[in-house]
Amino acid sequence: MRAASTEARERLKAAMLRLAAGERAALEDIYRATSAKLFGICYRILGDEKEAEDALQDVYLTLWRRADRFDPARASPISWLATFARNRAIDRLRSGKARRSAVPESEAAPIADASPLAEAMLIDAEREARVHGCLDTLDETPRDAIRTAFFEGRTYAELAESMGVPLGTMKSWIRRGLAKLKACMEAGE
Amino acid sequence: MTGDELLAAEFVLGLLEGEELLAARARAQSDAAFAEEIAIWQDRLAPLADTIAPRTPRAELWPRIEAALASESEAAGSESAKIISLRKNLRRWQWAGGFSAAAAIVLAFLALPQLISPGLDTDEPLPAAVQQARLAATMPIEGTSLSLALTYLPEDDSLLVGAVGLAADGVHDHEIWFVPDSGGDLVSLGVVTPGRVVAHDVPERVARTLHEGSQLVLTREPLGGKPPDTAAGPVVAEARFTTI
Repeated sequence: MRAASTEARERLKAAMLRLAAGERAALEDIYRATSAKLFGICYRILGDEKEAEDALQDVYLTLWRRADRFDPARASPISWLATFARNRAIDRLRSGKARRSAVPESEAAPIADASPLAEAMLIDAEREARVHGCLDTLDETPRDAIRTAFFEGRTYAELAESMGVPLGTMKSWIRRGLAKLKACMEAGE
Repeated sequence: MTGDELLAAEFVLGLLEGEELLAARARAQSDAAFAEEIAIWQDRLAPLADTIAPRTPRAELWPRIEAALASESEAAGSESAKIISLRKNLRRWQWAGGFSAAAAIVLAFLALPQLISPGLDTDEPLPAAVQQARLAATMPIEGTSLSLALTYLPEDDSLLVGAVGLAADGVHDHEIWFVPDSGGDLVSLGVVTPGRVVAHDVPERVARTLHEGSQLVLTREPLGGKPPDTAAGPVVAEARFTTI
């Protein structure tokens, strides 16, 4: 399992480098290996199938234009792509192209596994990352607020409104939570 | 935790909006130490995305992407040198204005027909409007490295306003004003739409007097723009047109 995961990762990294060198066919390889993961992220944030499709198209077209931005020395390709997709989806949310319709938790929960095998292997290696354990050390309120910001792309103002607290209160909850999260993660870095 | 570390975490999570977001984005591009803080937080938080269930997109999506890709490369490859140099210009603005590549392409398509048609047959007199110069201005947004990209197209009396890097803060709008040379009242050229490139109509009396050096200012207003019967809000940016 370990070896297969490493192999999938290396294959993806190689495809990213081919893309950066201008090889268009590499984009299809990257799409096959990553589209289910990235589509899951776009869908989670935008909450709408059609919007998520448009966002995903935007992700791969932008990737083609800016493949040289990926630095193989710095990041794992799948984490980099996940961050990239999340940022594009959030930009879309902010620019008003998309109006978020809330995804009921049941629908956002894992669905029948139709994803390629490579996907599962890429994901597994990161599952034990420290951030999960460190988030669990936070009090429930800041933890939920930070998770909602990450998974739904909510701003301070939106979080304060949905939880019915003043903006300043929400900011200080989250800021304290982030400081604690950082301390916990550094203890293990 | 330092202020910058915190700001980087807030930026990565997507908690910021409005001017705070603009300022953080600008620093991410210009301040290497801050960019490094952002990268650290991205690495820390990225594994959270692994808990999101994968979802297989419809099979039609890849062919759609491939088609978009093909038409894009075709457009890039088969046209004249004029387009290439126009694209280069756009890329420069894109840098200055925080433009997305997609917006630059939209702008290229909007601008192209007018660029190519005049001058092909020089014997034919050009319509009066075309003889007026095409003008552009870049309006830097204070405290950020972002800019509004403004392009006046005399052919149809419109002003293209590119605000793609900007996000709405939900509290304010920004309004563009023409400053007459004579010093008379400012004339509104419309409210900026954050995140998009939008063509604004230019009133004919303004269009006739636009020239290289004409001044524009940007004011901060309540949502919807300056209410009638109140003074305009504070001027937050200004720019002058140059001929392109």
